[in-house]
Amino acid sequence: MDTLVNVAHGFGVALLPINLLYCFIGVFIGTLVGVLPGIGPISAMSLLLPVTLSGTPESGIIMMAGIYYGSMYGGSTTSILVNIPGEAASVVTCIDGHQMAKQGRAGPALGISAFGSFAAGTFALIALMLVAPKLASIAIAFGPAEYFSLMALGLVVLTFLTQGSMPKALLMACIGVVLGLVGLDSITAQPRLTFGRMELIDGIGLVPVVMGLFGVAEVLLNTEQAIKRDIINTRITHLLPSKEDWKASAGPVGRGTILGFFLGILPGGGAVVASFASYALEKRLSKTPERFGQGAIEGVAGPESANNAAAGGAFIPLMTLGIPPNVVMALLLGAFVIHGLQPGPLLITQNPGLFWGIVASMYIGNVMLLILNLPMIGMWVQLLKLPYNILFPLIILFTILGVYCSSNNVFDVHVMIAFGIIGYFMRKLGYEPAPLVLAFVLGPMMENNLRKSLILSQGDLWTFVQRPISGVCLTLALVLLIAPLLPSLRKKRELVALDEGA
Amino acid sequence: MSNQTNVKLRLSNSELWGGLIGLALGGFVIWSGLKLRLGTINDPGSGYVLFYTGILMCVFAGAIIVSAVTEGGPTLASRWENVRWSKPLLVIACLTAFSFALEPLGFLLSSIPLMLLLLRLIDPVRWTLAVPIAVLVPSGMWWVLKRLLLIQLPSGLFGIG
Repeated sequence: MDTLVNVAHGFGVALLPINLLYCFIGVFIGTLVGVLPGIGPISAMSLLLPVTLSGTPESGIIMMAGIYYGSMYGGSTTSILVNIPGEAASVVTCIDGHQMAKQGRAGPALGISAFGSFAAGTFALIALMLVAPKLASIAIAFGPAEYFSLMALGLVVLTFLTQGSMPKALLMACIGVVLGLVGLDSITAQPRLTFGRMELIDGIGLVPVVMGLFGVAEVLLNTEQAIKRDIINTRITHLLPSKEDWKASAGPVGRGTILGFFLGILPGGGAVVASFASYALEKRLSKTPERFGQGAIEGVAGPESANNAAAGGAFIPLMTLGIPPNVVMALLLGAFVIHGLQPGPLLITQNPGLFWGIVASMYIGNVMLLILNLPMIGMWVQLLKLPYNILFPLIILFTILGVYCSSNNVFDVHVMIAFGIIGYFMRKLGYEPAPLVLAFVLGPMMENNLRKSLILSQGDLWTFVQRPISGVCLTLALVLLIAPLLPSLRKKRELVALDEGA
Repeated sequence: MSNQTNVKLRLSNSELWGGLIGLALGGFVIWSGLKLRLGTINDPGSGYVLFYTGILMCVFAGAIIVSAVTEGGPTLASRWENVRWSKPLLVIACLTAFSFALEPLGFLLSSIPLMLLLLRLIDPVRWTLAVPIAVLVPSGMWWVLKRLLLIQLPSGLFGIG
């Protein structure tokens, strides 16, 4: 009963005209960046992070969340029609989706992708409503040792799943921690790594770092190659899948939804891993696995449902524990912090309007996305023809303005350009920026919790092992750190390792 | 990968360079941690986490170097093979010049040439389209930010903008 009252309260917040507008802007931009290859939700969210300053916390966070789950919808359009993933979570949709389009079945592929995404998004929201308050009440009992170990596990899982060698990903995570510690020490107020610059006393800003590493670096990488596009030119008809299509897709949608939701909750996991895992599962369960890769609708329905369910599930650790499970959620945490809010176990009780408003807005956003992605598909197809030689300079100008407006400081523009150049060379040498950004956000929190738990336990390191939740997290982290040393596990890791930043 | 693009103990091995940079950064972080005071395990100081993170950095950088020496790695040149490497280089040069020009020249006088250069350098947009975009977009953004949102953009030594 309480949940229903809270949901009604949430809809009261989400249905305010200003919040509806921000929700629409979020899902529209999300679909836009999902459709455009080369720009992912991370770049778009980092670009729009300063915009959240202008409105209420609810509006800003509703918009940011909309960009994330909106991009999951939009990404499939490009994968199906152009065979280029709009964003990383839609890589796997290219395999069967584009084959379907080539066979003249682009309509059912787009249709099942949108309906599957809607079903998965709805399930994830209902599960979020039921699970989050329960988990938040348990999380109140968490101490600094549990928080430290959970964050350490999140970082290790992300480095495990990052493309390329694990030492490189771990080195990136360490650099992220160090960058996060720049500025005044929160306990002793001693300046650290500021090199005598007043601008660094408050630390390096999240906005210039993320915009540099994902926005500017992405443009630099994209300018290296002329982007070729093989757009399906036939008219898209029959968006409603047939009875046979529904029959073939029901199981994959259901399984993809459940699998995606749980993978989304796990620290370090997310939509990308979920879509690949769902594809592998459907291929394994299929009586005719040879159809996969030739235009099997199950290969579209499962992964597209999984990535949307994972996008919903990822909100649970952020909202209940205050721990972002992936880079996108780290940016959302940044939006909370900008407004002076700290997500965690007390968020639901102290700010019920905010929490339930965001949840309700996600449901409204899912309905908006269904409308945006089915009847208006023609508009997105036209957008795929936008010339990149005009788009890239505009992105650079917007990143410069975005960074400057977030702090009114030219120094941050210099920081962004520097991180853009560093990010470009990092990517060229095979170093992924995702672990760096997550560690940059988690670093100060990890340090704080580590020092607190050491002070509380009077220097007893066993406290991290003796406390059950902390012990389990650290054991899992250790297993993942050792795993790549075993050849069979190393192969498995290479199969699931993905470029989160794309 | 051919022998020419995958080398072991050579200065052109990009993995080796990546590891060495990591090692140098790790060493610097350890030194910074020590300088800031480590404290004790009962009462960790400001440099405590930095020091141990620096050690971890050196360990991971060491692993990268060992792997570069034993398994080899792609050469620096091969990382830029078959791509238009001059394009990102030109964009980097433009951005660096812009970052130095932004404060003295102000937003408008620095962003209009930046846009024009980017529009002409990445995949050349014809002049008749590039000039209006380069002038109108920054000016439009400046007007929206300054007049509507009341955000002060840098106006530079000439006070333009």
